[in-house]
Amino acid sequence: MNGMLNLSSAPHTRDKWTTPYIMRMVTLSLLPATIVGILVHGWNAFGIVALAIVSAVASEWCFNKICRKPDTIWDGSAVVTGLLLALSLGPQTPLYIPVIGSVFAIVVCKGCFGGLGKNFINPALAARCFLLISFANAMTIKPSLDAIATATPVGALKAFEQVDITKMFLGTADGVIGGSILALLVGGLLLWSLDIIHGQICFSVLIGFTLLIGLFGGEGFAPGFLLAHLCGGGVVMGAFFMATDYVTSPVSRLGQFIYGCLIGVLGGIFRLWGNTADSFSYAIIIGNVCTPLIDTYIVQKPLAYRKIGKTRRVKREPFRIPKPVIALTLIAALAGVALSGVFSVTKDPIEKQELAAKTASYKEVCPDAATFEVPDGAEEKLQEAAGSTTRVNEAYIAKDAAGNTIGYALNVSSKGFGGDVTLALGLTADGSITGISFTELNETAGLGMRADEPAFKEQFAGKSGTLNLVKGDAGDGEISAITGASVTSNAVINAVNEGLSFYETVLKGGN
Amino acid sequence: MRNTFRGGVHPEERKELSREARLRLFNPSGEMVFPLQQHIGKPAKPLVQKGDAVLVGQRIAEADGMVSAHIYSSCSGKVKAVEKRRVLSGDMAECIVIDNDGQFTCAADYSVRDSESNLSVNEIVQRVQDAGVVGLGGAGFPTHVKLRPKNPDAIEYVIANGAECEPYLTCNDQLMRTNAPAIVEGLELVLRLFPNAEGVICIEDNKPEAIHAMEIAASGKQRISVRTMITKYPQGGERSLIQAVTGVDFPISKLPADVGCIVQNVGTLYAIQRAVLYHEPLFSQCFTLTGEAVAEPANFMVRVGTSYRELLEANGGLKPGTEAVKALAGGPMMGVAMGSLDVPIQKQNNGLTLLAEDPVAQAEKLMTACLHCGRCTTVCPVGLMPQLMADAAIAGDLDRYERKLYGLECIQCGSCTVACPAKRPLMQTFKQAKAEIQAKKKREGGGQK
Repeated sequence: MNGMLNLSSAPHTRDKWTTPYIMRMVTLSLLPATIVGILVHGWNAFGIVALAIVSAVASEWCFNKICRKPDTIWDGSAVVTGLLLALSLGPQTPLYIPVIGSVFAIVVCKGCFGGLGKNFINPALAARCFLLISFANAMTIKPSLDAIATATPVGALKAFEQVDITKMFLGTADGVIGGSILALLVGGLLLWSLDIIHGQICFSVLIGFTLLIGLFGGEGFAPGFLLAHLCGGGVVMGAFFMATDYVTSPVSRLGQFIYGCLIGVLGGIFRLWGNTADSFSYAIIIGNVCTPLIDTYIVQKPLAYRKIGKTRRVKREPFRIPKPVIALTLIAALAGVALSGVFSVTKDPIEKQELAAKTASYKEVCPDAATFEVPDGAEEKLQEAAGSTTRVNEAYIAKDAAGNTIGYALNVSSKGFGGDVTLALGLTADGSITGISFTELNETAGLGMRADEPAFKEQFAGKSGTLNLVKGDAGDGEISAITGASVTSNAVINAVNEGLSFYETVLKGGN
Repeated sequence: MRNTFRGGVHPEERKELSREARLRLFNPSGEMVFPLQQHIGKPAKPLVQKGDAVLVGQRIAEADGMVSAHIYSSCSGKVKAVEKRRVLSGDMAECIVIDNDGQFTCAADYSVRDSESNLSVNEIVQRVQDAGVVGLGGAGFPTHVKLRPKNPDAIEYVIANGAECEPYLTCNDQLMRTNAPAIVEGLELVLRLFPNAEGVICIEDNKPEAIHAMEIAASGKQRISVRTMITKYPQGGERSLIQAVTGVDFPISKLPADVGCIVQNVGTLYAIQRAVLYHEPLFSQCFTLTGEAVAEPANFMVRVGTSYRELLEANGGLKPGTEAVKALAGGPMMGVAMGSLDVPIQKQNNGLTLLAEDPVAQAEKLMTACLHCGRCTTVCPVGLMPQLMADAAIAGDLDRYERKLYGLECIQCGSCTVACPAKRPLMQTFKQAKAEIQAKKKREGGGQK
């Protein structure tokens, strides 16, 4: 007790939080996205991640040595910068790109402005923008997964084409290494539930962006459309990992909200009317630049000065749902919406495709027809039939350019081995078959699928009345069955017979 | 229903070291030192000279003016000297030194209860003033001044502060467990001064035994209730308690009485009860001896003037094999780091914490640049923005510090400093900035005259 005692000003205790702890948690929360990215995109992605991190740390070490500053690589901020940069690069990027980017981020954006805490823009983002401008060709994200794909999902979105949200959500679409929205959300919401990032930043970014896209995107607030935009172009990564960077975001709650909305709205504007798909980075950088201004003027008053008059409001123990619970629920809900979102986005094209296939099939069976018209009184009959196994789906009168009835086109279905067998049936004006063409056939390959071969299909031409199925050679009013596929053959015959009887009862009588 | 305030931090509590140790009276044998200033206000004037014989409970120094407090001897013996001695702050200050004869002969019998039941308001305050009672929560503000606000009828709440949010310290917990009826009686005495007030006993939820004891003692009392508070620092701060109980925040220029509140520490209420009903002056208070470096953490009724070193060495001393690197008068949040243990315990002191490891020294090694993470803003119970304040203070922009950022509203609770992941010495910066602003104001004020 006679040793010297330490003297210091109160308080004499400190929290467990340290700068390296925060950086560790940010790195940890980026790991899911990193792992998914590497698994999906392969070794080159791994190389990019490794090189970006190593060169970021190395350049920080060298910069400190050259400038005779204390060693700061153990605070972990260089690792985060390198990792963020790598995750925002395409998986096929040449390996010198992440190195140049990391050096630029650490030396120019951070070191030259005074190191950690002094940079005015997010180093990783600034480096990404620097690379985008300087090495446009090398930075172009090339399709690596699907040779047929012509554009990345974001490019497609800009062109108002269809995208596969599920792929984007899981991270298997073309795009940057850290493209898995699910993994990013897991990490981002982890950070939020640990109180490391401020909810008012990330959520106001997302809300601002969604509102703008919803209001001016031309598709309203259709969930599939909004999700597609939210899942693409680094919005989620930007909202959770880039915009929330402490150093370059405001401190007051109101300031953070303004900053987040600004980024979200700018990101939306760039996305809708800009000429680059990588616009979100620029939105965040503009937000970063506005931060000192926001911090100067948006300052919160002490509690005692905030209330007008003397409000008596006893603060009870607030009822709070634990943040992790909210985070998990959000992830589950978003995953659900994203997966169902695929349907709502792709439902339309599926219907269009079906329509196109049907029209083509009618053309095939009634090649001379110029227009197809709905016959009178057929509608009720069709509705009665709807739901039965063997049925007529549609019936049209085929007319030539002069308006004369030259025949009939029907769409008929029956149950086959692998679901409905649907075909277009063409009839001449006197009720004999001109041909059949399948629009839906999901039978066993090599057996039932042989129904689509000319040898089987061509038997129908010229026949009329009620057809019978026979094995071996077929005579008049008979059709030779496909060997080993009697179910399919029967389905086709039944469907055709249904069409023929529809002709007899409805079409013929009506005309 | 647990109440709380906005913000705050959760420093490691470490109350388990001493929480079960019963309060016991410690009678020192060495010389006793009584600084003349053990309260906020003017120092007391000595009434004794070298060679005078004194008894326990004898007034040895009297208050100089209204904002001051009498000082009583806590031992019997002879006055050795009235001289400058080193005190807790590290300064040399005028003290009365008494050679303790070890008999502890009392000047009066303090176990006899005053039978008078209809004490007037003035009588109660007079007895409190005569007993030299000061706020025992740590500030040491003379209690009789606090009990006489301008408009007693406007007081709506008398808050008994049993939160004890300071880590390590447990003496208030033990005091409430063992002397709950006396504390409630003290609160009732104070309530007599404020006819429109409601008595609220506030205890953090990490002291279930104390809550239980106080609830039993307060049951059946019309105007008194016990409220459980969320365990969070600085829950026991005057402003935090008022915010938790009434929902009112008020600027630093106002006093609790301005918003209709009087806050008294439970230790003070106990002293008020002793003073009013037993005529016992304040010469002892509850006190915790604790810390990782202490062999036997304990709670005491300790006599004012006892040397910190004697208390430690007579009660087991240091834990074998450990070295105390830091000695704190009080706990780690509000306590004062001591340069030496050879200083006397004063009225408003309530603990000695000996740390085997110094978190501040460790934190200094981990210090990085400010990240702007905003944790300090989140935890500030006043609603300030410590990070921007520190920026302004370091840049020398005291105008922005004071006017735009309301820097002078800081209550110096240290929450921001505890929470800072970059381990910045925020509170020190604010203390310095405050001193600079006050010095500047003084200079400018002097120039105008």
